[in-house]
Amino acid sequence: MLASQIGYYSLILGLFFSILLSGYSVKDFKIKSKVINQNLLSLSFLQLFFVIISFISLILSFINSDFSNETVFNNSHTTKPLFYKISGTWGNHEGSLLLWLLVLTLFIFIFLIKSKEQPKKYRILTLLFQQIIIIGFFLFVLMTSNPFNYLFPTPKEGLGLNPILQDPALAIHPPILYLGYVGTSIIFSASLAAVTQNYVSREWAYHIKKWILVSWIFLTIGIMLGSIWAYYELGWGGFWFWDPVENVSLMPWLTLTALLHSIIVLEKRATLKSWVIILSITSFTLSMCGTFLVRSGILNSVHTFANDPSRGVFILIFLFILIILSLVIFFFYFKDNNKDLNNFFLLSKETSILINNWFMMYFLSVVLIGTVYPIFLDVIASEKISVGPPFYHKLIIPFLIPFFIFMSLGPGLKWIKSKIDNKNSLIITFIISIILSLFIIKNLTTEILYYTVLVSVAFFLFFTTLKELFTKKFNNSSQIIAHFGFSLLILSILFNSILSSEIITNMKIGKKYTYNNSEIFFKKIEEKSKSNFNSIIAHFEIKNENGKIFELKPEIRIYNQPVIITSEADIKTTLLEDKFLVMNLVKGNEYFNVRYQEKPFMIWIWISVLLISLGGLMSFFKKQYEK
Amino acid sequence: MKILRIFIILFLFLGFSHLKSDEKKDELKIKILKNIRCLICQGQSVYDSESEFAYTIKLIVDKKIDEGLEENSIYEFLREKYGDWIIYDPKLNKNTYILWVLPLLLFLLGGAIMYKKIK
Repeated sequence: MLASQIGYYSLILGLFFSILLSGYSVKDFKIKSKVINQNLLSLSFLQLFFVIISFISLILSFINSDFSNETVFNNSHTTKPLFYKISGTWGNHEGSLLLWLLVLTLFIFIFLIKSKEQPKKYRILTLLFQQIIIIGFFLFVLMTSNPFNYLFPTPKEGLGLNPILQDPALAIHPPILYLGYVGTSIIFSASLAAVTQNYVSREWAYHIKKWILVSWIFLTIGIMLGSIWAYYELGWGGFWFWDPVENVSLMPWLTLTALLHSIIVLEKRATLKSWVIILSITSFTLSMCGTFLVRSGILNSVHTFANDPSRGVFILIFLFILIILSLVIFFFYFKDNNKDLNNFFLLSKETSILINNWFMMYFLSVVLIGTVYPIFLDVIASEKISVGPPFYHKLIIPFLIPFFIFMSLGPGLKWIKSKIDNKNSLIITFIISIILSLFIIKNLTTEILYYTVLVSVAFFLFFTTLKELFTKKFNNSSQIIAHFGFSLLILSILFNSILSSEIITNMKIGKKYTYNNSEIFFKKIEEKSKSNFNSIIAHFEIKNENGKIFELKPEIRIYNQPVIITSEADIKTTLLEDKFLVMNLVKGNEYFNVRYQEKPFMIWIWISVLLISLGGLMSFFKKQYEK
Repeated sequence: MKILRIFIILFLFLGFSHLKSDEKKDELKIKILKNIRCLICQGQSVYDSESEFAYTIKLIVDKKIDEGLEENSIYEFLREKYGDWIIYDPKLNKNTYILWVLPLLLFLLGGAIMYKKIK
């Protein structure tokens, strides 16, 4: 009750300081001094401080199960464990927007502290553009999605949190993802400021690259956490479904990856300026669209927990204003001073980075069109179509083949003008990759040609990056590690999809199921009850071909608030493969539907994503300019 | 000639499949089920779902495979019965030309821009 009041008024105070901050910024912009007024920093801190207070108040309301707060009432329950009470704070629309606001204000504060060597006018303009976004979000939260709405009379009990959200990976997934999303707002504001100040330069590239890396790393890890969660909670062993909500997080990742590469060209060669600006604007727009598409409920998707179109309209208008603003600034202020530098030699690092961007933009267009087109078709022609994995696979996988080859060759090239000096070893590596994959693939699957080609290029990429990892001196280790992680990711995904095997059957307690010299034995079930759910835990014994026996205990949980039945898979993870068992109730029958899967190299998918992020992290801490 | 011989041997190997017929059937069935949307669920495929609807569809697909229908004919059968919404693989027709072709056009456009940029 008290916490809600404090939270609400803190928000209003935060908005007040934002407006004050904007006013002071404009005033300070006109003053001819080299350093920005210290007041701006203090005001930015106050703005952040009150959003923090507001956020903490909401967390406290959740911890205390204060059901006079509508958000808490809708999303919490007294029997929920403390951890999920806290994570429930951002597991809903209102709270997640407050989190957006928190990160927005936090990032601009950090930006002000960390950009002291930058020109004053550029810093103030970045602050101002960021304030437009921040004030927009303040208004959005206060007008359409107030997390502190008061309920009277106070309900005795809350409605509870969707059980599939009560999960450790998903508890930290939104904050990490939002750090990535919101990081793009700084890139956006800074780009517009740099354009207006004609400051799109090598120095700017070096400085903004850190922010691109921050967003990119958090987004990468955020997507991975979502994927891990989907793997053991949602899907039956799948980890990427081309679900609209997943696509929406992948899109800014693609533009950020493109940006991360082209910003290096800007840093090194002072060219590709307009392209870098366009990518910055696009990344932020896509992050905003992500919030819009997910939160408006337009998407028919497993993830759409908060459906509210009226809020979508607000974001849509807000987004529209921001896009118009950035287009106007781009077309009226943007000047490219050194046009003569713009052409590249075919064999050069610049060209290889352009090729990377070319493919990234293609993948983006596939994902974007695939996600948005069905919505348009529905609105315009009232025709419903589904765009799912086959569409994305058909349009993306063939293009991966040249993409991997370019990616194998690109990092070996030098700036400006280069030649391929180790032709022979590359050709030998390529032939070895083909032969190796042919031998591995021929016994494993029926689609031999398809997989041989894919695995060959994946091996080629893997071997060339592996070679770089060992031969190059460590002057560019961040790039090599990220690329190595990527090649490992591709190989893991490929072999995972080729080698995964699965048994689906119906079983009664005490029965055995045998196949290919292996055996699944349904030993017994036991019942357990916890504060927020009752569960049936099944004991399975699995004997594999070598006679090795191990036990798996999948669970069926019956949550009480709200009443939802979920299946919890039991997964045994080893370095080589995951053993995955999940079971289901079959209505009106005494048997259970049992699915047992062996999924090779599962853990390597996560390890490779961590390696990719590690590469980014190393680049973040690198102190010198690009070589 | 030696290389040719090696290639012929390799291709003979390629034609050889080690999977038994019922394993093949299971593989095909799973592949098909993953491409069918569970109409009453939120964004799940029939393969992922345990709903009664999914159960019915699974039986239908099983029957159709046993009748010897090709993968695409099964999709056609379901499309006619439930509409295009049910299959995750959108068919190329007047509704979906843009969907299929636009990304490819954009790729070509990107290529043209690249070509201009490179000496």
